[in-house]
Amino acid sequence: MTPFILLELQPVFVWLYNLLKKIGLSGSWLTIVSYAGLSLIVFGLLSVVALFLVWWERKVSGHVQQRYGPMRNGWHGWYQTLMDGVKLLLKEDVKVVTRDKAVFFWAPIIAFVAAFVPYVVIPFGKGLIVADLNIGILYILAVTTFMVISLLMAGWGSHNKYALLGGMRSAAQVVSYEVPMVASILTVIVFSGSLSMVDIVNVQSGLFFNWFIFRLPFGPIAFMVYITAATAEANRTPFDIPEAEQELVAGYNVEYSGMKFAMFFLAEFINMFTVGAIATTLFLGGWHGVILPSWLWFFVKTLLVVFLLMLFRWTYPRLRVDQLMGFAWKFLIPVAFANLVLAGWMKYARWYW
Amino acid sequence: MGKLRTEEFIVNMGPHHPSTHGVCRLMLTMDGERVVNVEPYIGYLHRAIEKICENRTYPQCIPLMDRFEYVTAMSCDYAFSLAVEKLAQIEVPERAEYLRVIMLELNRIASHLLFYATTAMDIGAVTPFLYGFRERELIIDLFEMTCGQRLTYNYIRIGGVSRDILPEFVPKCREALNIIKGKLSDYQGLLNENPIWKARTKGIGVMSQELAVAYGVSGPNLRATGIKFDLRKDDPYSIYDHFDFDIPIGQNGDVFDRYLLRLREIEQAIKIIEQALDGIPEGEYKTKIPFRFKPPAGEVYSRIENSRGEMGLYILSDGSTKPVRVKARGSSYNHLQVLPEVAKDCLIADLVATFASFDIIMPEVDR
Amino acid sequence: MGVLKDLKELMRGLGIAGKHLGRHAVTIQYPEERWTVPERSRGVVVLLSDKETGELNCTACMLCMRACPTAAIFIDAPRDENKRKHLKEFRVEHSICCYCGLCEEACNFSAIKLATKYEFSTFKKEDTLWDMNKLQEVGRDVPYVDTRKKKPVKKPVEPKPTPPSVEATKDAKTQPDAPAIDKEKPDTKNDVDSPAAPPEAEEKRDNDKNEGKG
Repeated sequence: MTPFILLELQPVFVWLYNLLKKIGLSGSWLTIVSYAGLSLIVFGLLSVVALFLVWWERKVSGHVQQRYGPMRNGWHGWYQTLMDGVKLLLKEDVKVVTRDKAVFFWAPIIAFVAAFVPYVVIPFGKGLIVADLNIGILYILAVTTFMVISLLMAGWGSHNKYALLGGMRSAAQVVSYEVPMVASILTVIVFSGSLSMVDIVNVQSGLFFNWFIFRLPFGPIAFMVYITAATAEANRTPFDIPEAEQELVAGYNVEYSGMKFAMFFLAEFINMFTVGAIATTLFLGGWHGVILPSWLWFFVKTLLVVFLLMLFRWTYPRLRVDQLMGFAWKFLIPVAFANLVLAGWMKYARWYW
Repeated sequence: MGKLRTEEFIVNMGPHHPSTHGVCRLMLTMDGERVVNVEPYIGYLHRAIEKICENRTYPQCIPLMDRFEYVTAMSCDYAFSLAVEKLAQIEVPERAEYLRVIMLELNRIASHLLFYATTAMDIGAVTPFLYGFRERELIIDLFEMTCGQRLTYNYIRIGGVSRDILPEFVPKCREALNIIKGKLSDYQGLLNENPIWKARTKGIGVMSQELAVAYGVSGPNLRATGIKFDLRKDDPYSIYDHFDFDIPIGQNGDVFDRYLLRLREIEQAIKIIEQALDGIPEGEYKTKIPFRFKPPAGEVYSRIENSRGEMGLYILSDGSTKPVRVKARGSSYNHLQVLPEVAKDCLIADLVATFASFDIIMPEVDR
Repeated sequence: MGVLKDLKELMRGLGIAGKHLGRHAVTIQYPEERWTVPERSRGVVVLLSDKETGELNCTACMLCMRACPTAAIFIDAPRDENKRKHLKEFRVEHSICCYCGLCEEACNFSAIKLATKYEFSTFKKEDTLWDMNKLQEVGRDVPYVDTRKKKPVKKPVEPKPTPPSVEATKDAKTQPDAPAIDKEKPDTKNDVDSPAAPPEAEEKRDNDKNEGKG
């Protein structure tokens, strides 16, 4: 047990902070430098995670289809994504003839930035959180809405009626599926009593039966509603109408090429990781776990949820647009709200453990 | 204030398609999200096969007829050979007939597996594409072992088949059929009861019986509407009357019925092949025909049940070594014509699903 | 309840996809691993040479050129002063060839075959036209079953009176090959058991050779 506890990373960051204090920084300078440093570390980590996820998706899709994925660039293709990035850098940046050049230019940047912003409040391990805001989960919900803006900007700035239609459709999809997502998150918050991510994780400490997913009967239902709604938020199959090639009306990113397209693409994978991170924190007990260090448990659980999302993509066919919206409004929202009411009543009647 | 004016706009689903049916251009007239009219433009794959056949001797026409519909090349070879044999009254030895039936049914399975793969991919599930092709490889390996090619076989000739099967063909064929039988349950478990699949395919692209009969639709598309008509039973050719098999039919004529029907047909084809493998007689595998083969003058029309529908061959001969006129009738031509009727008032996603479920192969349309 | 049944079916789908994760892949890493091609596989057209002497088996009978549906074979075999044909040029245009195998079936002399070789992409279109040397070179190590009749050992030439039957056949030989062709059955080529060519054609050719030397 002892050597694994030594692998906890919180003491490392405490030591770094003390180092900065020793150097002579103090007051607001100390705050700025320490937060900037932490943000850079998280940014670097997430970039690596995004590259890893792209590679992993191709490997998982390959093995589900009984073939290998990438095999040429490195052992089993581990630096394939880097090579793809280089290729995208070398591609021609197609200049679209449009009035709103600024809108066209800023859309991928906003998408990319909006993908990273939620990670300020996600607990990567015991004490490993950039800023423990007391409105943690509300902040995440507020910030993930920036993605909608970037979709609309991409659709409008492309000066292409099909891209506009595709962008409007994806915006409608994302906005509709936010309601059940919020309702399922509220279920968890009813029990944790606080919006702060650290508190939510702490409520799930102890035996793993305390994880919200195991707290029947509202836990599994909330988890399934959250996973479904979050899959739609991330524009993944079976809700990937905006990106489907077989559909005639192409998605919002049809006019983008080269690095701009790469930004949308990476933003999508980071969104997938965000979905997994939130699911882990809220439902799967955060970083709690035996033997292994806490940050390792966090990554294992998050990657498990991401793996589930990837399996969804390679198993299920696509839903039609009207069926998608009907499913959200006529099925998911009633179920999510009924679940919320049930959870609230259980908490009031103290019928939980 | 007058009514808000809406305008129909035309969208071109160009010859370059992500859906793999060959090159077909569809001009869609759309009112918002709904498709009002579909106008197919064909001719992108026209290779003048019928005209070329007029300048080739009869044995030389067979590699050309392979390319008439390359997904079921055995059926095309067979349709031509049957027509010429009818014209020239050539007796085919029984072993050759058994081999022909085995090859035809194996080709039917391969074609339906291709249908399964591409239809699932068009509706969004990408994994069945790979699964279908994995099984198709087993069948194509059998073909390569026997005649040497994987797609355009040049195997079924006038008077029999070109080569005898190797001794290891029969056990390998049985093994392949067992594997496919096992995997069929996988395919159906993946898609049949899947609620997303049912929502995308049930009630979509409904074709009524009257419409089907009016447009000359044949094959699984016709049987899905409920009409039990299969040329192997109703106008038997070769030795199909020796075998015991069922003709599955559907009820509603929608996409789901057409899909399920073809999977059932794979099962029936496996049944036929197993019966044929058990009973291959010894003997000659072809009747010798003279090198400069001259059938008697006359005309003949022969038809067979292809995996897509009725495939017909009309040959007009004047007694020389080359035919005067060859006309190939492909069922996909009729199926493409019925598409605008079936796809009225549907969304584009439904149009893609309907088009995929008709199992239209463009080389058969354009020749 | 319908919802529970739907969920169960969705889980089943995931299970089917998931169980493939543990299975071995069915693909191979080409070009490091190659598939063993069946022996009847139809690859490029090659010309076969005699196993002992190394000369081409081809006798320029032009049967393959007539059998080809796409006219991919071109043979130039002029008659020399002894009125015998010798093979001057044999070209196969591989970009036109449709790999149907009709030429192989037409040949009676084990001279042309569709070998199982397949990697012959070129950078220039002109390189797909193979001449006689290339066809022979690629076909040198192609195994084949020699179905020609064994040639009789050359005896020392003695002048002998030509019987009238040989005169008649010699006259027939000066005409274009049509009569000779009719008697030959190309589609029995690939049967090991059946005779390769009717004996008359072989005998005519042997007589022809003797005539030339006589």
